[in-house]
Parts: sequence; C-alpha cells; structure tokens
Amino acid sequence: MRNTRVMRDVKARQGVTQNEIARRAYLYVARNTTLPPQVRHQAQLQLNTFGKYTRPNTVKNRCSETGRGRGIISEFALCRYQFRLKALHGELNGVHKACCTSPCNRGLYIY
Amino acid sequence: MDALRVLPSKLKALTRLRSEIFQTAYNPRNLRTGAKYLRANLRGPAMMQQYPELGIVNEYEEQRVQDVEDKKRRGKGTPKKTKSKADSRRLAKKR
Repeated sequence: MRNTRVMRDVKARQGVTQNEIARRAYLYVARNTTLPPQVRHQAQLQLNTFGKYTRPNTVKNRCSETGRGRGIISEFALCRYQFRLKALHGELNGVHKACCTSPCNRGLYIY
Repeated sequence: MDALRVLPSKLKALTRLRSEIFQTAYNPRNLRTGAKYLRANLRGPAMMQQYPELGIVNEYEEQRVQDVEDKKRRGKGTPKKTKSKADSRRLAKKR
C-alpha cells in the first residue's frame, strides 16, 4: 500500500498539518476587506510562497489498504472492494450483509 | 401599528448590544473580515488519521538512520573528531 501516490498524500497531509496555522493567519489578513490593500497584498504574496503540499485541497482520500484513489468509503478509509472484503470477514464493527428478511434491505450493507 | 414600529437606530443599538453580550464581532454592513478563516476548525489533526500505520513516520529518515546504525556496527561509521592537528595526521597515517 506504500506506493508513490500514497507517500505523496502522506507528504501533503503532513505539510498541511504543519503549516495550517500560519496559512490561516495569512488568509485572515489577505481576505480581510477592512485592512489596507497593501497589507492584504503582502499577505497574499506570503501565501503564494507556501509549497504546493501545504494546501488542503492537494490531500486526497486514498484506500488505507491498497492505496486506490477511487471508490473510497471515507468513514472506513477503504476502497469499496476492501470494504466488502473486510465487512464479510467481520473486521468492521457494526457492518454486516443486508438480506431480504432484514428490516433494512435497501443496500448491500447496513451500518 | 405605530406602536409596533421600531426605529432603525434602536435596532442598530440592539444588534450592537447583542454582539457585546454574546461576544461576537459587530459587523452591521456584513463586510468580509476574514473571520471565517479563524473560526473554522483545524483540519490537519483529522487528516493525519487516514493511514494509521503510516501516520507521521518519515520513512526515508527512518531508513537512513537504520543504515547508519548498520554501518556503525560493521565498523564503517564516520571517524571520530580529533582534538588537535597532530592527532588528525596520526590517524591519517594509520589508514
């Protein structure tokens, strides 16, 4: 599961966590319309000096088991197939297969 | 109806008083003050929980430290610092 994309995502998550407070402070100044434009511009320039992997939108939820980037069930941090496998093995608490006799038979699983 | 009408100035005073009591910013013109960036919760701590076993471990650094330890055990570590010039010359000859 330690493929390059996962490592990149970990890097992004670390970068965001480490720089979050400083970025928020600059964002506050830059977006504050009551401050003089020059100050706001300076803050925006400072914001631009932060690296790519300090922005929260570079973080992508990936499967914690396989590293797959699509079809992630975010509550479990698993892709849909790993979710199914683990659910059928009973490794996920409160998740079990739905059936016709069950009161909730709309989906495959209820949780 | 006249009895129910409230003067705008009174309404303004009320809003000001309300923001004082509840300790919120008084912003009657709804200017963009950037307060939402300060008010929002930090997202980093939650983000770090996506990969529990990877977490905050820096793999490359761990590997490097491990390699250095292995080299030291085989006697291939960095040489010790010498106190004087004479010492360094002596050590150079030995090699």
